[in-house]
Parts: sequence; structure tokens; C-alpha cells
Amino acid sequence: MGLAFVVFMLIMVPGSGQPSDFSLFLGRFHPVVVHLPIGILVVAALLEGLSRRPSLRGRYDTGILALLYIGVWSSILAVAAGLYLAQGGGYAADQLAWHKRMGVLVVLFASLAYLYKAWPGLSERWLKNWERRAYGIAMGFMLLTVTLAGHLGGVLTHGPDYLSRYLPDGLRQVAGLPKKADIGRLQLENPAETTVYAALIAPVLESRCTACHGSNAQRGGLRLDEPEFITEGGDNGSPIVAGRAHESEMIHRIWLPANSDDRMPPAESPQLSVAEAELLRWWIDAGASFEELLPDVEWSPVTQTIVDHMGLDEIRTGIFALDTTPPDSMDVAQLASLGVSVTPLAENEPYLQVRCVDSQTCTDASGLQEALRPLSTNIAWLDLGRSPVGDDLVEVIADLPHLTRLHLQQTSVTDAGLAHLSDLEFLEYLNLYGTAVTDSGLVHLENLPALNSIYLWQTEVTDAGVTRLQSALPDLYINTGLSLVPVEPDTTGS
Amino acid sequence: MNLAKEARDTYLGHVTRRHFLKSAGAGFGALAFASLGATSTGPRDPLTSRGPHFTPCAKRVIFLHMAGGPSPLELFDYKPELARLHGQDCPESLLEGKRFAFIRGIPKMLGPQATFQQHGESGAWISNHMPYLGQVADKVAFLKAMHTDEFNHAPAQLLVHSGSPRLGRPSMGSWVTYGLGTENDNLPGFVVLLSGGTAPDAGASVYGSGFLPTVYQGVQCRTSGDPVLFLGDPDGVPRSLRRKSIDAINTINRQQHEEVRDPEILTRIAQYEMAFRMQTSVPDAMDISREPAYIHEMYGTEPGETAFSNNCLLARRLVERGVRFVQLFHWGWDSHGAGESESLTGGFIERCQETDRPVAALLNDLEQRGLLEETLVIWGGEFGRTPMLENRTGSDNPFVGRDHHSDVYTMWMAGGGVKGGVTHGETDEIGYSAVSGRVHVHDLQATILHLLGFDHLRLTYPFQGRDFRLTDVHGHVVHEVLA
Repeated sequence: MGLAFVVFMLIMVPGSGQPSDFSLFLGRFHPVVVHLPIGILVVAALLEGLSRRPSLRGRYDTGILALLYIGVWSSILAVAAGLYLAQGGGYAADQLAWHKRMGVLVVLFASLAYLYKAWPGLSERWLKNWERRAYGIAMGFMLLTVTLAGHLGGVLTHGPDYLSRYLPDGLRQVAGLPKKADIGRLQLENPAETTVYAALIAPVLESRCTACHGSNAQRGGLRLDEPEFITEGGDNGSPIVAGRAHESEMIHRIWLPANSDDRMPPAESPQLSVAEAELLRWWIDAGASFEELLPDVEWSPVTQTIVDHMGLDEIRTGIFALDTTPPDSMDVAQLASLGVSVTPLAENEPYLQVRCVDSQTCTDASGLQEALRPLSTNIAWLDLGRSPVGDDLVEVIADLPHLTRLHLQQTSVTDAGLAHLSDLEFLEYLNLYGTAVTDSGLVHLENLPALNSIYLWQTEVTDAGVTRLQSALPDLYINTGLSLVPVEPDTTGS
Repeated sequence: MNLAKEARDTYLGHVTRRHFLKSAGAGFGALAFASLGATSTGPRDPLTSRGPHFTPCAKRVIFLHMAGGPSPLELFDYKPELARLHGQDCPESLLEGKRFAFIRGIPKMLGPQATFQQHGESGAWISNHMPYLGQVADKVAFLKAMHTDEFNHAPAQLLVHSGSPRLGRPSMGSWVTYGLGTENDNLPGFVVLLSGGTAPDAGASVYGSGFLPTVYQGVQCRTSGDPVLFLGDPDGVPRSLRRKSIDAINTINRQQHEEVRDPEILTRIAQYEMAFRMQTSVPDAMDISREPAYIHEMYGTEPGETAFSNNCLLARRLVERGVRFVQLFHWGWDSHGAGESESLTGGFIERCQETDRPVAALLNDLEQRGLLEETLVIWGGEFGRTPMLENRTGSDNPFVGRDHHSDVYTMWMAGGGVKGGVTHGETDEIGYSAVSGRVHVHDLQATILHLLGFDHLRLTYPFQGRDFRLTDVHGHVVHEVLA
């Protein structure tokens, strides 16, 4: 009778499509039932273990047999309820498949163990001498599959790091897990080249949506696992309207109350956190770009807070992505003794800002040259403006590979000096105002990849030179001086 | 009573085991620190250039304080609806629960006393009183919903500059020089320039160092006569003799410091040294007569005068030389309408004409010298003004003016790390309350410190048993205006 019921239940499990309320109702009994076989089968195995002691041999046999009997039936019930529950969706497909397999194997091994226990010598014809061990093996596998199925079930319900969440850091290291402080933080190989979509949006979709809208299942004809599927949309059209989150189906569904049938993810599935929902909304409002890179993003105050907690504030680009050795204090002292102001760019940065205080203090060019050399990788900002610097010192600047800001205004630097700057791949700012540089000097700057702004007021540079430089570096800000248009005073009131 | 014995007893009474352990710990730390970055074996100069918390956007600040509270309704906050309501009684609902400095009873609404036009690619609204600023509008980020806690000048100015409406806290410039040191030890790190005929209402406290060592105090420089009073050598004292006397004084001071370890003695030594260097560097920096004619033309400056325009040009010369914080005060924006000089149709327009061109010239001049992207320029007063007419003297007053208003006013920032051509914050139809993007004075301070590379929560100084900071227990960085 029982067998017939179970077979009936298994047949009734619908293959696909929308599950009925009743089957979901039955499914909800899975967590109620599932702990029975786990406990019962483990106790059976433990008693069997105890019976190995000569003094206890055979003492528990009746009990073990009864436990295995109840264990088998309760595990069958648990599997059946589980199959109903899985119909609700929202579970990671891979883990769910393994959980199912393990559950069925529990039934199988528990049944085998029961059969051997009830009828010893059952398969003597086939197994010969192995017959006695077969019982032990079935018991062993039963214990193993119960453990695995139980663990996978826990992972499906509570998330993968539920067990290890509060593992002490020392043990985490042994287990190859990231430090506790790093949980929830983004681990990106190359953050500067990672898109916002890949870093922040895809992981949310992956953890909350793609179980039903992915490669394994496409509820509503929708897939959210690849950009092209997201754009293409499903039966209800595209889930996102770029730039208008409030008109996007995806956001509507997220915002619906929990009792709405249209709410996504469905009420019984793991829900989006507020931060995840806000990231999706912000990303769609910002244009839902699949290409925009993390360093180019304009964060809103809220998303700024969110990504700061994910460790994105520490995304480092340019020279800050490099592993540079901090400066030697004796070298710094040597440089500072030449009347130069030497300051760390910031605490915990290996870079320095160096500034010639004024024309009276920065006269020892060769000394300066010597003092700059040992600090060559540390100097990021160099201000030699209004100092007696000439082209010979600019030669040393060519060996400062991490220079980002360079002031040479009102110095005797010429075109010959600019030739030394052509390899400064991180140079963002170059101030040449009040120098004798000409158009031919600017040619040396045409390949500076990072150059953002250049100041050329009161130089020999002509419009032609500016045009040429601008076409080589279209995003460069070139300043050649500014003026105000005289205005007659207007004293009229309202 | 034996004074020496009393001093000794007091000292011993203070030095407990806890103090000993603390100073011993700090001593070891100091040893380690000294070996890391020491440039000499002597005590560390409090003005040594230091790095901020994170890589800064701006290296220096020019704060143009328009003392008195300029009316945003005649400058940037274009309110056509207010013109329509001109002359009508102010609805009582707007007055409930509000306190004003002078308005009593039911005032009348006062329409904008200016015409407005949009300027630049950003389309910023700027009135006809500031035509030159209109030309540089795209460099500027307007904060149109600033608000403050105070509606009287002195406390409101103190709040802007020291983060507290009461006396005793260090000013922003002092905090910045305390945090960053100076780039040019021949000049003060924090210079104050006054114009407009009246010193700030709150006195020198708005640029004072509070409980920070006095070396971080703002140094007021005069634009005519000796730039810094009592800096020159007395008649008959040559510079070499001055050098020797300072050396002697400093030697004694160092011995005293060895003995009592009062950091204020280090400050004194540093100040003597700086004063000596300043004897040559300050007159040079402050001498604008050497500027070419086109620069004078640009700023509208007249060497030798005490004028806001001269101070703008000086501000540029000072930041060019590495001064960290240049604080300008220009009095005369207190447009109550009680007389011509403080009316919106009189004194107010004169203030606009005095300041408009030099401010625009300052922004342009900084930019063409490549300094604007490293220098933060801030413009604004201590509060705003009411959309209602203040009529203190009676109904037949020929002058119009507005009362102090703390709920909403406009400030702007430009340069180092600030997005140009943006407007943050919005006011209602009559410019009486903010509807979005409110920025408190503490938020502005947090933002300024952020641009200079400081986490405003971490720039602290221990005093009377607790750590103090510029933003007290408030302040949020206004990310919307950051580039």
C-alpha cells in the first residue's frame, strides 16, 4: 500500500510548467520530513557500530531492523516531498541536481541495508564470500549519502557559506577560504578592466535569477545569464529599459509586495538584498551598459556606500596598481636637504610629491639630479616650476617612470627637454606655461597615453601645433591662456 | 610660597603611572617614526610637510568669504515666481516657528532685484550683477541649498570657519595646515587677507588656531604698508645681528623644551625662524607692483590699495608660492536695506562690481597657470537672505533689503577635484526653503577636507580629554560635486 502511494506521488510530480498550489503545499513538508531519515538512519548506523563490541553483539538487531524500516519509508517520503518542493524553483540548478541524486541514493542504500539485515544470505548466490561485507558497505554508503544529501540541502537553503561563516580565520586559511573580513568583498583579478556588469550585476542575477532564467530553465522564456539574452528578453519583452528603471519589468517585479504572484524572485525563493536591488535599479538608470568599466563609473551616494563595503573603494589604477617599494628615508632626507619640499602623496602610499620651494632654494641642479635618482620610482608629482631647471635636469625626469604630474612652468626648458618626456606612460598633467617650447617640442608628447591636461600659455606654441596635438590626443585639455571679455557695468535692478 | 616647589609638586601630581606608560609607549613609537622619516636629530618642525590620508585632488585652498551674507536671490537663485509675488504679504504659514534677526510681524515679499540669464554650456543662472562670473560659469559647481544653524554674523561665520558657532575651535585653515604642513617654509601656511573696511564680526577667531598649536594660526597680511606688522628689523639692527639674536633665543628655547617638553615651545622656535625668513619672502610675495600691466587689467587691481581685487591677485601669488590656505574676507554684503550702503540697489551692487571681475580673473588666471586643477576655490557667505522685504525703519524706506536667512543659501566651489558646470541642490519657487540637495556647513567642510585628501572623521586633535575635529560629530562629503 505504502509503495503504491509513493509510486503515485512520484508519478504525480509534474515534469515542467507552473506547479499547482497543492504540489507546492506538499513540497513544503520536505524540511519537516527530511530530518526523520537523517536522524533515524544515523542512529541505525551507530547502533550497528556499537554491536561490533563483542559484549553487545546482536543485542540491538531488532531495533536496527525497525530503524532501517522506518528510515527507508521516511526517506522515500522526503524524496517525494523534495521533488514537489523543487518545482517551486529558485534553487541553483547544479546543487539541486546533486541533492536529488544523493537523496535517491540514500533511499537505495538504506533499502539495501534493510534487505540484508532482514534476510541475511539474500544474495549469497551472486556475491559469494562478499555477502557478509555487502551489508556493511550498504550501511557505509548510506551514511555517506545521508551526509552529502543533508549538506547539499543545507547549502540550498542557507547558502554555501552558512557552515563556514564563523570559522576562525586560522582554520579558514587551512581550508583555503578567504579571511572572514573578506567575505562579501569583491575579488577581482584586474578591477580596472572589469565591467560594472561583470563585477556587480551578473553576480546578483547569477545568485538570484538564473536558476529559473538561465541555461537550465527559461521560465517565461527569459534568460538572464548572458547580456544578449537580457537585451532580447522573454515572453513579456525585455526586462530592462536602459536609463529608466521605473519602466523596467525587472524592477517592477522586484518591488511588488511579497504576496503578489508576479513578484520576483518568488516569495519562497532566496530574496534580493536591499543592496542588490539598489544596484540593479542604479545600473538600469545609469543606462544598463554591459561595457562600462569600473573606473569610469559615477557612483551615486548609495551605491558608493555599497561598493565601499564590497572593497571596491580600493580599486587602484595607474601607478597605484603597481607594486612599488616605499622610499628610503635617508634618500628622502638627502633630497629634502636641497631646499626641496618632499611629502608623501598620502599615508600608506609609496609615492612622493616633490616641490622646489622657490628660485632661491633650488639652484643645485646636479645635486638635485643625484638626489632624485635613488627615489626615481617613488616620485609621482614633481613641481620644478619657477626654478632654475634646464633641459639637463629634464633628462633625469625621463627616468622617473611613475611621474603623473609635472610642473616645468617658467623654467628654461626647451623642445630638446620635451624629447625626454615621451616615455612617461603615467604622465597626466604637464605644465609648460612661460617656457620657450614650440610646436616641434609638442610632437614628442603625442604618444603619452595618460596625458589629461597640458598648459601652454606664454609659450612659442602656435594654433597649428595645438591642433596637431589635439588630433593626436583628442581627450587632452590644452590651455593656451584665457581672457575675459570686458563688460559694461549693468546696474539695472528688477 | 616657593613657586618652583609648587610647580614641581603640581607636575608630579599630574604624572601618574598611566601617564608614564603612555609617554613611554609614545616614546617608542616616536623613536620608530623618527628613524623612518627624520630629516634632523632635533625636534620635529610642526610645519614639516605631511601627507594626507589619501591621494588628494586639491593641494591648496582659496576661500573667498563674502562676509555679511550675500543674497542668492539677486545672484544665482533665479525665482521668477518671487517677482510675481512682489509686494504681497508673506503668508503666515511661512513664518510659523521661524526666527529672524530683524523681521517682526508680517513682512511683504520682495521680488528679485536683478535680471537673470543663463551662462556657459551648463546654463547656470547668474544675474546681471556678475557678468564676469558668467563667463567662467562652466568652471563652477553651485551648492544652491546650503544651510546653517545660525542667523547672526559672528556665530554663523565661526560655524563656517571653525565648525562651531562658539569661540575656541581651530579654523579650517588651521586644521588644513595642521594636517598638511606647508610646502614653502618661507611663508606662512595659512594667510588671511581682509578687505571691505570691516574685520570679520567674530574677530580673529575665524582664522585662529583654537586649541591647535598657534603655529597653525592664520597670518593676516596687509595690502598696504608693511604686509605683516612688526616683521621688519628695527632701525639700526642689521639682518646679521637679527640672525644671531634669533639663534640665541632659539638655543635657550630648545633647552627649555628639553626640560619641560611643552610643544608650544617648538611652535615658538618655528615662528621665530619663519619670521626671519618671512622678512624677505613676504614683501616679495606681497608686492603686486611687479605684475605686468595685463594682469592688473585683468583683475582690475591698483597696487597699494586695500581692495578685494588686490587680495585676489595676492591669493594667486601666494598659492603659486605654495601657501596652503588663503582666506579672504570681504565685508559689505549685509543688505538689510536700512540705508543705501546696505541696500540691494546700492551697496550690494557695489560689492558685486568690486568682486565680480577679480573673482572671474582669479579663476582664469589660476587655470592658465595650471593651478586651478590643484587649487580649490570656495565662494560664499555665512548665510542667505529672506525672500521677504526687511523694513526695519518703516514704510517709506527708499531702500530695499532682505533679512538674514539660515535655511537656504548659495555657495560655489571651483577647481581642484570639483566638477565644473554643475548645480547641486534646489530651492522652492521663492527661494525660501530647500527642496533637494541640502548641504550643511559641516557637509561643506567635510567635502573641502575630502578634496584635500582627508577623511574628516580622522583629522582630529586631542584636547581636554577628547578628540576634536572640524566637523564636530557631523558632516557628509557631497559626492555630487566631486569630479
